[in-house]
Amino acid sequence: MNKSKEKTIRVLVAKTGLDGHDRGAKVLTLGLRNEGMETIYTGLRQTPEKIVQTAIQEDVDAIGLSCLSGAHKYLFPRVVELLKEKGVDDVLVIGGGIVPPEDIPFLKEKGIEEIFGPGTMVGEVAEYIRKNIKRK
Amino acid sequence: MSADIEKIKQRKKEWEEKVLKPALERFWLKESPTEFYSPADIEDFDFPSQVGFPGEYPFTAGTYPTSPALPAPRRGLPAASGQVRAATYSGYGTSEDTRDYYIEMQRRGQRRGPNLAFDLPTQCGYDSDNPLVRGEVGKTGVAVDTLKDFEVIYEPFQGELELDRIASNFTINGPCNILIAMYFALAEKRGIPLDKLRATPQNDILKEFIARGTYIFPPRHSMRMFRDSLVFFTRHCPHVNITSVGGYHIRGAGATREQDLAFSMAILCAYLQEGVNAGLDVDSFAPRFSVNAFGGSMEFFKEIAFQRAARRMWAKVVKEKFGARNERSILLRQPAGAHMGYENCTVQRPLNNLTRSVVGAIASALSGGLPIPMPPFDEPLGLGWSLEASQLSEDAFKILYYEAKLNKVLDPLAGSYYVEHLTDEIEEAAWKELQKIESMGGVVAAIESGYMQREIAKSAFERQRRIETAEDLVVGVNCFVGENELEVQTSHLVPHPYDPVKREQAEEKQIKRLADLKKNRDNRAVSQLLKELRVKAQKEDENLIPHFIECAKAYVSEQEMCDVLRDVFGEYQPATL
Repeated sequence: MNKSKEKTIRVLVAKTGLDGHDRGAKVLTLGLRNEGMETIYTGLRQTPEKIVQTAIQEDVDAIGLSCLSGAHKYLFPRVVELLKEKGVDDVLVIGGGIVPPEDIPFLKEKGIEEIFGPGTMVGEVAEYIRKNIKRK
Repeated sequence: MSADIEKIKQRKKEWEEKVLKPALERFWLKESPTEFYSPADIEDFDFPSQVGFPGEYPFTAGTYPTSPALPAPRRGLPAASGQVRAATYSGYGTSEDTRDYYIEMQRRGQRRGPNLAFDLPTQCGYDSDNPLVRGEVGKTGVAVDTLKDFEVIYEPFQGELELDRIASNFTINGPCNILIAMYFALAEKRGIPLDKLRATPQNDILKEFIARGTYIFPPRHSMRMFRDSLVFFTRHCPHVNITSVGGYHIRGAGATREQDLAFSMAILCAYLQEGVNAGLDVDSFAPRFSVNAFGGSMEFFKEIAFQRAARRMWAKVVKEKFGARNERSILLRQPAGAHMGYENCTVQRPLNNLTRSVVGAIASALSGGLPIPMPPFDEPLGLGWSLEASQLSEDAFKILYYEAKLNKVLDPLAGSYYVEHLTDEIEEAAWKELQKIESMGGVVAAIESGYMQREIAKSAFERQRRIETAEDLVVGVNCFVGENELEVQTSHLVPHPYDPVKREQAEEKQIKRLADLKKNRDNRAVSQLLKELRVKAQKEDENLIPHFIECAKAYVSEQEMCDVLRDVFGEYQPATL
């Protein structure tokens, strides 16, 4: 494997809905950058439509959704749904924030592939993305 | 004195050479893992000017001459809770859901006014029926679209608990003036004069731009809204606090201790300046400023020093920069004091958060506050605290207060070489940062340029780096995570008064109620009032609150008012990371 030919992974870090708690999203944006990925942070108040539009425009390999307001059960699946509607099936979607453990099986069933809660190390997220992106 | 200090410095050198060095060598240590402080670390310490007596300038030793004394609990009865303080932060689903919650809590003996948590659409100036806010209605608090919702929420607050006999808290910032106008409209409809109302709206919009994120309008227009509230409350509502400045939000977003203090002071200065610019005497409004639980971290002594430094710095700012003469302007009013920092709760082995919150509570008692362990241990587990977790927090408070008698002595660490040194150090760093912000043109300019937002993000990232490299340790997160550690299970056996099934139904119900209301109100009056709002909003000097009250009475919705203002003021566009 020639390392220099390896494509740089592009990640969109997105704040869903109206939630303004963006410490985690910002730390992840800066942290994944440190891990050698190209990261784009959407800023606050992104509707699922806007997130999907940005993801397509920026041609990202992965989307990290953040929500601490309790609206994750609507907002996260909606992003996956809209991606499918647009015919995008090779983008890895993961989530983080305050997500009660009992909601995780539901979210995984809806196509959010992993949920990272408080206390997650950026290194863990980076490794998960590297291993699981669908476009190699 | 200085000859003594010289002697102590000399003695310290000798001690380091003769006592410390051999000890380190014995344990193969290059550096001492501990520190020791002596009078040499507070060389120019002057008790009267740097500490003083409690309740006296510069208030280092305490805001008041004595600690708020709590009544001894009578056998079999809980300690009486003051009726004129608001209840704990609460608000659920639709206005009916929240009304029912308060009815249930009153059945269980609660006598306090509501401390309302609003959902995010309400906090961001959107109505529940806006498709943009799908999924958010009733989630982080109660949905309020019109005066109708306030009428419903306050149904249980009549008679003995009429509006002039309770205090209400509103965690509202961007649309504060609109929501408080709805409350004023409710009072007027019930025949209660505004000067009898007790309330605290958070009304701290500037920290929303750098920490909490529920802004609507650009900073300069937001400051006009702040001016309107300051002037209106000062003239008409002497018992309504003007603002409850939230230092802990800034810390929670990632700011260091020094940034937290400096940014909070810069924000307070900007608010004071608005009042002065409006032609008011600083002493006529500064006593109605309050602070909402400054700080927050697990670094015990530093948080104690921080509280002392914050009181002293605030006193100097108001007295020296703004020329206040009234002692009540100069003291920093803070209902809750030091605490662990909500962001330091862990999902991992969550009962440990109780231990952490007790550490914060002890820091509070030793720095002029009550030993209130905040938050309840299940803070990071989901939304809403369980009754069990709240009970444990309240019991821990009672144990610290009644059994450990932590509040018997005020500022018990005054004169400690270490704590005085830390207090000076934190205050000095904060003054330096405050001067930097002022040289940029003040806090509004520093927000517009994105300076504060970037600095906080950098500090948050640095903290994460320290956790990932184990320079900072968090038990159960980056250390002591082996398989032999026991995962202590927590369970909720007592059902929460808010049924989760209602949460699922809240959005649809609230939307339907709003649709009915919009159909049945006098819509010609509504559009006339909105037209007038536009004209008034365009006049910079016009105070909009009286007109918001008229709009509220006609059931104009929050978003309808905000949309007019969005048109006139524009919307805030955040700086990029």
